[in-house]
This record gives sequence, C-alpha cells and structure tokens, in this order.
Amino acid sequence: MFKDTIDVRHRLGSQQYIASEEIGTVVYLAQSLCKPILAEGPAGVGKTELAKAWAAALGAPLVRLQCYEGLDESKALYEWEYAKQMLYTQLLRDTLRDVLGDANSLSEAAARLAQEEDVFFSENFLLPRPLMTALTSDEPVVLLIDEIDRSDVEFEAFLLEVLSDFQVSVPELGTISAVHQPMVLLTSNNTRELSEALKRRCLYLYVDYPTAEAELQIVNLKVPDLSDDLARQAVAVVQQLRNMDLRKVPSISETLDWARALVTLNAGAIDEKTLTNTLTVLLKYESDVQKARRLMEGGGSRGPNPRR
Amino acid sequence: MEKRVVDFIRGLRAAGVRVSLAESIDAMHAVGVIGIQDKNIFRESLRATLVKDSDDRPVFEELFPLYFGGGGPPLQNALEEMSPDEQQMLKAVLEALSGRMQALMDWLTSGEGPTKEELEELARQAGAQWADSPQEGRWVTRRMLQKMGFTRLEEQLQELVQKLQEMGMSQEAIQKLLGVVEANREALAEQVAQQVGRQIAEERANRPKDLYSSDLMQKPFYSLSEEEANVLRREVQRLVTQLRSRAALRRKRGRQGKFDSKGTIRANQRYGGVPLELKYKKRKLKPSLVLICDMSRSMLSVAEFMLRLTYELQDQVAKTRSFGFYSDMEEISIVLVGNRPQEAVDAVLDNFYGRMPRHYATDFGNSLDTFFKNWLDSVDGRTTVVVLGDARNNYNSPRVDLMKQLQRRARRLVWFNPEQPGQWGTGDSDIYDYVPYCDSVHIVRNLAQLAAAVDSLMAGG
Repeated sequence: MFKDTIDVRHRLGSQQYIASEEIGTVVYLAQSLCKPILAEGPAGVGKTELAKAWAAALGAPLVRLQCYEGLDESKALYEWEYAKQMLYTQLLRDTLRDVLGDANSLSEAAARLAQEEDVFFSENFLLPRPLMTALTSDEPVVLLIDEIDRSDVEFEAFLLEVLSDFQVSVPELGTISAVHQPMVLLTSNNTRELSEALKRRCLYLYVDYPTAEAELQIVNLKVPDLSDDLARQAVAVVQQLRNMDLRKVPSISETLDWARALVTLNAGAIDEKTLTNTLTVLLKYESDVQKARRLMEGGGSRGPNPRR
Repeated sequence: MEKRVVDFIRGLRAAGVRVSLAESIDAMHAVGVIGIQDKNIFRESLRATLVKDSDDRPVFEELFPLYFGGGGPPLQNALEEMSPDEQQMLKAVLEALSGRMQALMDWLTSGEGPTKEELEELARQAGAQWADSPQEGRWVTRRMLQKMGFTRLEEQLQELVQKLQEMGMSQEAIQKLLGVVEANREALAEQVAQQVGRQIAEERANRPKDLYSSDLMQKPFYSLSEEEANVLRREVQRLVTQLRSRAALRRKRGRQGKFDSKGTIRANQRYGGVPLELKYKKRKLKPSLVLICDMSRSMLSVAEFMLRLTYELQDQVAKTRSFGFYSDMEEISIVLVGNRPQEAVDAVLDNFYGRMPRHYATDFGNSLDTFFKNWLDSVDGRTTVVVLGDARNNYNSPRVDLMKQLQRRARRLVWFNPEQPGQWGTGDSDIYDYVPYCDSVHIVRNLAQLAAAVDSLMAGG
C-alpha cells in the first residue's frame, strides 16, 4: 500500500512510469477512498500503462478486461462450462444409475435428481472471467477495464453494481462478494459520453499529452540509447506536430517508436532526410504526412498554435 | 474549511457543473485523507472527486483560486524602513489629500489593505450583484478600482513626490516608497479581482435557477436565446444517453432473427450432435442514414441540434452520410468524422456560415439535382433518407420527379419540418408537393419533438 502521494509517484517511477502530481494524487485517493479511477484522454498517453505500473508497484496481479461492442456479462463475469458439465454427466452415468436405479416412478427419479443438481451448478463448473477473477482473488488485484467507451450502455449499467458494492449475483450460487476489494482503473478514449451514474462512482483523471520536459524525461527513461541532444530535438518536433491540425496527432507511444527508430537508423541529427524517411512512424495518415512535410520544408512556424 | 468547500461546490453547480451529493461527500473524504497542507494536491483531489467531465475543467480552474486563493498577495509596509522624520513627512502629506484618495494612499503605504467588509461594500457599489459571468466580473473590477481612485493614482503620486521633495525627503527614500506603493498597487488590484470573482460566484449560487431545461425542450427553436440554446446543448447529452439506451434495448429485444440451422449444427458438434444450443441469425437492426440538412440561416438552430443529435448517436447507426445545402448541396460528413461532437458541429457550421454569401436563395430542387449527380450511390435499399428543411424553395422548381425517384430508391424517406402545419403550403412553401413521396413527415419545432422524431428513425431499423 502507498504511504502518501509522493510515495505513489516514487514507486510508479521505479516501474518506469513517470507520474504527474495529479496522477499521484488520484491513485493515492483511489486507494484511500476505495474508489475506482476513470481515466480519460486521447489514445496513447499511457492510461493502460498506468494500470500496469500500478499493479507492478504494489506487486499485485493485473486483471484486464478489454471492452468492445457486444461485450456482455457472460464474457466479463462468468460462464457455465457447458462441455465439462456434459462430460461429467456422461462419465458419471453409472453413479447416476445407482442413485436413480431403485426409483419406482419417473417423478421420484426426477425428485432425486433435483436433490443432486447442486453438483452440476457448483463452482467446479464455473468458468470465471476477468471480473469474477478480480473479485474472488485471494490477494488484492488491480483490475483494468480498458476502453469502457467501446462497450454498450447495458454493460455499463451492469458494471455499476460491481464498482459500487464490489459484489455480483450469480442466480445459481447467490451473491459473491469481493474477498479483497480490487483497485479498479477504467479507461476511456472519450469516443462517447459515459453515463452520469458511472462517472459519479469514480474518481476522474484526465490524462493529456505531456509537456515537453515530461516527454523528454519519458524518452530518456524508455530509450536510453538516444543521445540527449537528439532526444530534445525529437521531442520538440513531436510537440510541434501536436500543435498542428492533423487527423491523428502523434501520441507518446509513437514518440517512443520514433525514438527507437532513430536509434536503429543511427541518426546523428534530425535533418530533412531522416525526417522524410521516418515521419511515417509518427503520422498514420498520408494527408497528415504531407501536411507535416510541407510545414517542415517551409521552414515551419515555430510559434505556439492558438489551439492549445 | 468545510464551509468553504461547500460554498465552492455551490459555486460550481451555479456555473453549470453537475455535482451530486455523493460526489460532494467524496470530496470531503478526500480532503480528510489528503489534508490541506499542499495546495496543488488539495486542488487535484477536489478536481478528481468533483469534476467528471473534461469540458468542465476550465470552470473549475477559474473558480478554485477565487475560493481558495487566500485573497491575493499581502501588502507591504512602507513605513517600516523610514526614519521617524520621514514618516512624519509622509503623514503630513497624506492628511492633505481628500477622503477617498487618502484611504487609498493609506492602504498602499501602510501595508494594511481594506478589510473584507470594506471590499464587499465596494464591490456591491460597483454592481457585483448584477454581474453574471467572468467577463462582466472584469468590468466590475475595473469600476471598483476606479471608485477606489486607481485612475487618478498616477497624478496623485506625482503631486505627492513633489511635496515630499519640497519637504526635504531624500531621493532614495522617495524611490523606495514609490517601489513599495507600486508593488502594493498590483497586490491590491489582485485582491479586488479575486473578491469580485468570488462575490459573483456566490451571488450566482444564491440566485434561484430560472432556466428549466424541461420547459426549454418545448420552446420553439427560433425563439431560443443564446443562453437558452446553451442550456439545451448540454441537455442534448442526457437526451442522447436516453435515446441510445432505448435504441440498444430495442436492438437487444429484436435480436432474435430466423433460426440458423447451419450454425446450430456447427455449434452442437461438441455435444455429439445433440442440439443443446440453438443459434439464430442476427438481423441487422442499425439503420443507415443519409441526412440532408437545409443550412439556410432561418434553419440554423434546428440544423445545429439535428447534427448534434445524429452525431452523438453515431454508434447506434450503421452508417451516416450528411449533406448540407442552401442553394447547392455539399457533403459535410467528412468534417463530422473524427472530431469530438462539439468541435465537429462547430466546424460544419463555421464552414457553412463562414462562406455563405449575404444574398442567396434556398433551392432544394437544384440541390437535389446535384445530389443525384454526385452522391446517388450513398442511397440504396437499406438507407433511410432524412430531409430536414422547411421546403421553402423561393419559387424555384421543386423537382418533385427527383424526390419520387429518391423515395423509390431508398428504404424510407422521412421529412423533418420545423414549421407549424398551419404555415405549410403558404407563400413559397412546397412541402405539400413533397409530402406524397415521403414515408412520414415529422414536425420538429422544438427539441422534444426533434428527439422523438430521431427516436422513430432508430426504431424503424
């Protein structure tokens, strides 16, 4: 468990995750208030990475639930293992005959079978999915519910019970409560508005693109082979690209990819040639690449863009 | 401190941020855990518990210093470093000043600013209770500074320096005095600005709410004020959530299609062919839309809300293509894709109204013709075509023939008209020419009607 916000930042830092003061505060609060965190922000700023670092910093296992359209309870929570149930019935046929053999009538046999039916709806045949795994785990876990905005509205509603009471109801078994309350991080790329009820239950964290210094720190940490000077230049270019009106602006992960590409290509400086060759690592649309190229060739306006 | 936080939450609510009771309790817990020693961490913990929408962040950032700013930087005392003689001289000069200027100079030199009560009174005199927004707050601040004599400060200071020189104060001491006064002036102005901001936020929190969104839902689009439209824009969010869950539910209930014999056999191989799991074919229930919007100025507000609604509902729709027209047609779906809802709609409106000539004639007939030439491939047997417009064609040819073809080609053709039926067919309205070729016509005078109409689109599949 974390002692205070500084401890949080320090220990996340030791997992190679550079946490801003805000992230430190929110993670500490989440732990102290036992509340889930809802992290929003553009794609590729390290929201998922935060969950991994969090789990590693605490030495807790990470349980991940990736959301997508059409995800439903059975895939998130539990499923009855149909095939195994069938197999057991087949194998236990003899035993069943013993139990039912001396029954005189059909109804008597059915009644006897009903007494034994708990056998087939026990936890042996329960196939736990991520949510159930997180709830029934023997040690505290970090539960990552990734890209919640991709799931359907019904699933979001279903999550409310899990997130506020940390328990779920399985009709055949009753209510299962969490052994240890998991630490939950939900991420959203903001493709749709989440419901008020879900937001109300969470602490809100908005992760934005980092400042130039923070990004430089990240590059230095993750790609130590890149010379300091080159890293500085690279970050400056990326920051400049983010201020442009592009279809998809480069994220941190793309900055890192680019930095690695520069190391691999053994680039001495970011000149026009290197830039032309490697720009596609940063930008994923042809129109963006061309726009960026035009800007770079035209000398580029280095001034801050009013959009940010 | 608790009272401060509660006041702050009231201020946030008054500024339009949704803060529930549960969230304010969370905020209190968070403050209890975090403490208030570190102001940044304190701010971040309040923000994480209270503000759940990145759009509301600026409001938070603006209000926070007003409530927890500590009233601005403290003033310095100029007298401390003076010799008794010099203090005497300054005193004599100050006493010669008139009432208000004397008070001001006193604050600026003694290091003791006006009391809280004095500031509140001054703010009231400057009209803080009538102000409604930060912009007006700046205006009130200016007036307040004027009342306190800041505008005449420069000449007063010159006079003061002259008098002090005559009395024989050293140049060095005068410079020092001026330095302190200058610093204090800025500090005092900052204090005043914060006081005004806080007072406005508090006043706003105390005022009864007069805009009820439920009433506004019924108010015709054309009579909405800008402020009311803003309330409704926020309301669209909630409306969309409702519509979306209705649509999703409908889809779920309607999921059962025809029995899928192939799928069933395949799925039950593992049970030795005993059909334990039954498979059904899924029906495609998401409608694919082609939206044709009249973007002439009279239609501005309806078109805006229509775009907002459909854009927000994109995930419930298989495919949308949007077109806008006044005298000719243009595709706007390209702009709509990829941006956030607010930005996307703004971009479309900017794009259209930025280039619109002062005089133009709405011409749906001509626009339809362009549509047929360029984009007819967007309409097929699965498409629902929605036309949003008042059908006022400026006596141009309505091109009913094209409309007829369009209906035959599309799955459904729906017309949304923002005019009252009484006005239909009057003047240059051609709506009755089009009606026979529409599968349904909806009146969308206000947001409630528009939402119902959009919902019916989703239901039709």
